[in-house]
Amino acid sequence: MTALAPDRTVAPQRASAGRLAFGGVLRSEWIKLRSLRSTVWSYLIVIAISIGMAFLMSLSMVNGMNGGMDPASAPAEQQAQFVLQSSVFGVYFGQLVAAVLGVLVISGEYTTGMIRSTLTAVPTRLPALAGKTAVLFAATFVVGVVANLAAYAVSSIVFAGIDVSASLADPAVFLPILGGALYLALVAVFALGVGTMLRSSAGGIAAVLGIILLLPTVLAMIPAEWAADLVPYLLSSAGMAMFTSATAGPSGDDFGFWINLLIVLGWVAASLIGASLLLKRRDA
Amino acid sequence: MITAEGLVKRYGAKTAVNDISFTVRPGQVTGFLGPNGAGKSTTMRMIVGLDRPSDGRVSVNGKPYAEHRAPLHEVGALLDAKAVHTGRSAYNHLLAMAATHGIGASRVREVIEMTGLESVARKRVGGFSLGMGQRLGIAAAMLGDPATLILDEPVNGLDPEGVLWVRRFVRHLASEGRTVFLSSHLMSEMALTADHIIVLGRGEIIADAPVSEIVTGDTRPRALVRSPHASRLADLLTAPEVAVIRSEAGVLEVTGLAASAIGDLAAANGIAVHELTPLTASLEEAYMALTNDAVEYRTEAVR
Repeated sequence: MTALAPDRTVAPQRASAGRLAFGGVLRSEWIKLRSLRSTVWSYLIVIAISIGMAFLMSLSMVNGMNGGMDPASAPAEQQAQFVLQSSVFGVYFGQLVAAVLGVLVISGEYTTGMIRSTLTAVPTRLPALAGKTAVLFAATFVVGVVANLAAYAVSSIVFAGIDVSASLADPAVFLPILGGALYLALVAVFALGVGTMLRSSAGGIAAVLGIILLLPTVLAMIPAEWAADLVPYLLSSAGMAMFTSATAGPSGDDFGFWINLLIVLGWVAASLIGASLLLKRRDA
Repeated sequence: MITAEGLVKRYGAKTAVNDISFTVRPGQVTGFLGPNGAGKSTTMRMIVGLDRPSDGRVSVNGKPYAEHRAPLHEVGALLDAKAVHTGRSAYNHLLAMAATHGIGASRVREVIEMTGLESVARKRVGGFSLGMGQRLGIAAAMLGDPATLILDEPVNGLDPEGVLWVRRFVRHLASEGRTVFLSSHLMSEMALTADHIIVLGRGEIIADAPVSEIVTGDTRPRALVRSPHASRLADLLTAPEVAVIRSEAGVLEVTGLAASAIGDLAAANGIAVHELTPLTASLEEAYMALTNDAVEYRTEAVR
């Protein structure tokens, strides 16, 4: 208790000691992310939702198909669509959890005062945000892939009951599974930017959920053509289209994967640029 | 070494820090003293770049804090004992801070041991007492084995043993040649810990001097004299730089002349003196005198 500093004569600057580097910042943000219960819970919920929703969806689809048509004799392409639809269904709900997590990763630092420790260690500030972004993106993507693969496995088991199957090696199957995970990760990063700008958990979560859930509804209620035209450019609309039409090229009203990805990236970029400017300029 | 030049911080119309310049030197403990709201914390936050100065600049070891390649090795700062995520354990908090600079887990364990946090290191910080929070803050500040330490109210919330520990600890750090800059609103604490004191009031520097000088200050010598021939003695004491107050019959309060000189004068003139007491201001009184006009939030005297 009363032990003093280790016995050293003149202290200052040990040459061997490390210096501030981005690799270290990444490691630091990873330690921070994994050492909070909210992270662990959020990710477990994403996985649980995916599995649960896939089970319900595939079950109801299988029941619906027991009527007239014979799904087992449908072309492989269509069978793959059945399984896939159920496998990525959980992303609709998982995105809300990813959004909340994205906000909490930074707002939790503001509400507890941790941000002052973070910015004292990384006084140039932007590397801290970049590190957070990279770690959150990677972790959420991995969790998204795991969640969607688990959902695929559950769906496949249910569909096997009516001899409908989809091969994971089929790009029409694995690309949307990856696309759904990518969207989850990008939503989390988008929310991180919003949380950084608003610096509050309640405000950040409200704003992000408003953009994801409310904005499409509000636009749909406006009886003007421009409102309807805007809908595909919304974060959630473009994001969903990313993994529900992953193999399709642009056709009709459909943008196709790459354009939808660009739209989502636009939202993410706007959020991160706003966050960077404010983080750099404001007093912490 | 911390050097501030013309540092200003305004929040809207309110000026928190008004054009202050000072130097904090290595090898000694420099106290940063002032009433609550005087601008101490704001100044310390500007030193480590958390707040941007409205004007002026401040450097640490010759460079602005943010320009150092290894900031945690230059400065260890305890700015706010609660600058920690409440949901994380003390160990993980320190590990994450250390990782930014490539500081290993062995150093983390070292600072935990140094601050006596072994038993609670794996517990979540949310359940920490104020005192444990302060120890954790000091542990974080020591991670980079920094040449300069900035501690904002480090004894706040500590029990007497903890206060003693901090006092010894900062003395030890200064003796190793480090720069220690430590704030407090308690003069009594500073008197025991600091070598040099910078007094801040309403965002301005009121005094910047060694502790001994703050005590004696530029206050002139004062003495209390009791004599049956007080009025004769008072006449003899008349001089431009000497002020004599008759507080009651036979008692003089003399300012501007040392007690010894008064005694000699009385003896030379055959005047009996029954009491001769030098009046020295305590550090507390000196501080009160200094900050009397600079208290932001004054309480009315208790009636």
